[in-house]
Amino acid sequence: MSKRKHDEVRSRNEVFTEKTATRIWQETPCDDNPYIAQSALCHGYDLQELMRACSFTDVFYLLFRGELPSKEDSQLLETLMIALINPGPRHAATRAAMNAGIGKSMHVHILPIALTVMGGDHLGGGEIEPAMRFLRKHQKQQPTDVLHILESSEKESIEQNSTGIEISSEKNKKFTPGFGSLYGGIDSLTQTIADQLITLPAAGKALQWGNDFSQLLNLKSSGWLATGLAAAVFADLGFQPKMGGALFQLINAPGLAAHGLELSNKPFTAMPYVRDEDYVIEK
Amino acid sequence: MLSKSKKETISSLDQKRNVIHSKTGGWIPGTGVFSHGYSMLDELVGEKTYFQIMILNATGKLAEKPLADWVEAIYGCLSWPDPRIWCNQIGALAGVARTSVVAGTTAGILAADSRSYGMYTLIEGTQLIQKCYKQHTNGLSVKNIINLVIESNKGKPNFMGYIRPIAKGDERLERMEVISQKLGFDEGMHLQLAYQIERELQDRFNEGMNINGYISAFLSDQGFTSQEVYQIFSTLVMSGVTACHLEQNNKEPDFFLPLRCNDINYTGHSQRHIEIKK
Repeated sequence: MSKRKHDEVRSRNEVFTEKTATRIWQETPCDDNPYIAQSALCHGYDLQELMRACSFTDVFYLLFRGELPSKEDSQLLETLMIALINPGPRHAATRAAMNAGIGKSMHVHILPIALTVMGGDHLGGGEIEPAMRFLRKHQKQQPTDVLHILESSEKESIEQNSTGIEISSEKNKKFTPGFGSLYGGIDSLTQTIADQLITLPAAGKALQWGNDFSQLLNLKSSGWLATGLAAAVFADLGFQPKMGGALFQLINAPGLAAHGLELSNKPFTAMPYVRDEDYVIEK
Repeated sequence: MLSKSKKETISSLDQKRNVIHSKTGGWIPGTGVFSHGYSMLDELVGEKTYFQIMILNATGKLAEKPLADWVEAIYGCLSWPDPRIWCNQIGALAGVARTSVVAGTTAGILAADSRSYGMYTLIEGTQLIQKCYKQHTNGLSVKNIINLVIESNKGKPNFMGYIRPIAKGDERLERMEVISQKLGFDEGMHLQLAYQIERELQDRFNEGMNINGYISAFLSDQGFTSQEVYQIFSTLVMSGVTACHLEQNNKEPDFFLPLRCNDINYTGHSQRHIEIKK
């Protein structure tokens, strides 16, 4: 076999910037040590001033949006943050945190482990960006028309996520990321959270449209999922879709950490362990 | 006026700005890829096994093939596709949640960095057998070595490398003993002492060695430090987690060990209301 000829390996010598740029944070160095910051600005606001005058939610919003929120926007975001502070002990990400806790994984590993699971495409951060894009794309259309389109193209596009793995079924219907059924029914808790959010002054087009769409889906034992609701609030607050998954992970993080840490000093036996006779290896 | 030490610190930091000094290696396009003094493409890839290269990257030592094969066999011993094991269950839950297989596997590996099982415990296991070996060569009997360990654990026989969670005994030991023999390894001094400790623990507490104890003693005989052993096994549980992720990722979500609301036993405060401060 003749030897194939390939390109000679050489550096492309691309021109890289000398410094990384950020619009988010500016540190002013101390007079006597350029490696130590003496003050910091967040999108132009002095950190000390933010500490005195703003809520955590205000500065959270500022970090991602570049401007401080209006009182109404801050209220909407904070209400969502409270609503989603804990996905509950049965969510896959919380159960991952609990397994890490009970398994004596390093305490500092519990949250990253749980957040990794919370990044999934099923009831996790992976649903937020497509849900936000869906809401932005369709909120000028009639929900009935959109549902009709979704149902007619279900076979081709709805049952498959980007990896081609099925995430929708009769028992766990997903019409589009963020909307569907939970354990075969309507996610009641998320609906009650939506009912409260939609009354807030900053509730916008995405929340309103999503709620109308959800009501339509109720006839099919489906509706809002927590991911869709979060996506609607993020869209109304003007966050970019690419930020949605991370925001969802951040908002859920306190509950995940709390549940994992709660079990971290308990013996292995403090969580169920499937008995050998109940573990069936199928041929 | 800057102090001398502050000036020196700033100066040494300035010298490192945008400069990397590596003793490990790197890629210089057009010249080659280097790891610990070896040309990776000329001397390692295709010439040495993946586990030889992995051990080199983890410790800076190029192990002989039999030792790398032995390490590979240990990886097989600790990568079981059973989702009841905590790290694997995290992988399975990540599959349920439809993370990527890489994310799920990484989460499971991270979980096995645990004080109770997985690779982190190898630090303590290796330190313990090396400490015991020193005590033994200084004349302490096995019985007294065990007594000292128990004393330092407030009277509990917490002996890393012995006493296994979930089950008594460890089926991996016999298999690894056969493999070790097949690969031409003799029982070294650490391993011989580990077996003596096991006999004593069996007599006194009806508890034996587990795979951690075997790995720790064997690799101590090969001259590795506790930290090097930990580094070699940094992705130990990987393929078992991957298997558990994939099984659930290919099934309907939420049907893996489903929990009803009242399958969680709430033991907190009963319902109360926020007091409005006047």
